[in-house]
Amino acid sequence: MAIRDRVAIVGVGYTDFSKNSGVSTLTLASRAIASALADAGLGVQDIDGLATHRVGDSALPGTLAHSLGLADLAWHLDQFGGGSVSHAVVGQAALAVAAGMAETVVCYRAINARSEFRMGGTGRPPVDAVETQYQAPYGHLAPPQQFAMAARTHMEKYGTTAEHFGAVAVTQRDHAVHNERAMMRRPITLEDYLASRWVVEPLRLLDCCLETDAAVALVLTTTERARDLARPPVLISGAAWGGGFTLYSHGQPDPTVTAAHSLAPRLYSQAGIGPTEIDLAELYDCFTYSVIVQLEDYGFCEKGEGGPFAADGAIALGGALPVNTHGGFLSEGYVHGLNHICEAVAQLRGDAGARQVAGAEVALSTAQPGYVSGQTSALLLRRAL
Amino acid sequence: MSEEFPKPVPVPDRDSQPFWEGVRVGELRVQSCDDCGLLRWPPRDICGGCHAFSWHWRATTGRGTVLSWVVNHQVFSPSFATEVPYTVVTVAINEQSDIQMVGGWCGAGAPRAGMAVRAVYTRFDEETTLVNWEPVDEAPDSRDE
Ligand SMILES: [Zn+2]
Repeated sequence: MAIRDRVAIVGVGYTDFSKNSGVSTLTLASRAIASALADAGLGVQDIDGLATHRVGDSALPGTLAHSLGLADLAWHLDQFGGGSVSHAVVGQAALAVAAGMAETVVCYRAINARSEFRMGGTGRPPVDAVETQYQAPYGHLAPPQQFAMAARTHMEKYGTTAEHFGAVAVTQRDHAVHNERAMMRRPITLEDYLASRWVVEPLRLLDCCLETDAAVALVLTTTERARDLARPPVLISGAAWGGGFTLYSHGQPDPTVTAAHSLAPRLYSQAGIGPTEIDLAELYDCFTYSVIVQLEDYGFCEKGEGGPFAADGAIALGGALPVNTHGGFLSEGYVHGLNHICEAVAQLRGDAGARQVAGAEVALSTAQPGYVSGQTSALLLRRAL
Repeated sequence: MSEEFPKPVPVPDRDSQPFWEGVRVGELRVQSCDDCGLLRWPPRDICGGCHAFSWHWRATTGRGTVLSWVVNHQVFSPSFATEVPYTVVTVAINEQSDIQMVGGWCGAGAPRAGMAVRAVYTRFDEETTLVNWEPVDEAPDSRDE
């Protein structure tokens, strides 16, 4: 039985985005969940499922259930993993709702990624992955390094340039100007981009996402029930997982092809929607390069053409495919994936204010495309008619 | 190197121990499937090609080709604070190009994609030797086999 349009997102919630929340991830999660439930017009007593992902850095669903006074969750998921599984969390919650295991599931991600557990690697032990023993001894131990390695190959193979990466950073900052939640709202130019310091060549500071303390939450329920709730439902038309090979040392011979390349056809056929019907895309942008490679792997342009596609203005508001309309992780903030889904929901509801994509009906939202972990996940969402 | 922040060293596991033992004696080993001949690395018991469990260690030539490289400026770990900027390369080994290893760079100039390289076995301490890479044409004769 297909998942298509059987489950809806009926509420989204946020905490503030900051460099130091001053509170625990448990507190952040509770606040985001309360905010999402308020948006949906529901109460805590309506929740019968909780799901999150984490890498040993956040509050467990069981801990949240206890905090919220929920004695019996019908379904819960504590998914180990980073950005690559972010959309899988929502996909699995949708399966649980569609299968009748739970009626109303809240997916959340709470993270103190600046003040407590920095993703940039500083002071944090390397992740528990099979690659670690073969990479960390050489000082290769943080995501920017792994993405830089792939970005370099893309430059060598396809002629992708710093200006192409810069176009992603500048465009997304332009979008963040219209997002009051965004942490970085001062416009930047390509010159600012090129003048920003090297982090790990070929990536500069402005290629890298922000380290953020924040939580977001999404409320899912059946499409049938969604029609009686406060806000216009956004339907989950497709939810897909992909990947197996981890890049670097695990047999994926071409690092410029990500797990998204094999996931995309599955996602599109599930939803009966192709890339030309997508009005906007929230593409996992831990680094500018990941946007470029996903433009290719999700079929918006040919392999190798992601850089020119971005630099020609297609990804800007008003372009053929507005991308990361909230500013993305580069400028809004980094909540490890779920804030992309929240923005897609806002766009499809027509709630996005000055950054609204006119007539937005279909949105793609994606997870980390598979560097580091080898896996990815994505959702196709559409406005309920 | 800082005493306060020791560098991460490989902690061999039950699969990888013979690989690291090989590196210590100057040999870059990968597994070779007894049934289909496919090479594999990092070490694991089953062949991803034919699913046989029978295999043996095979010493490679320690030669490869640079696929990609990065130059680190940011200090991602305090144990590398005194090393920046440093270059890390990804090398495809000559025997089978989908076996790709990350290692330090010890060439005099910058690496280039497609550059022919050879493994340099760098003693780290009593127990540990690491694999770094240098261009074949920079290798002194004394190190040639
Ligand atoms: Zn075999």
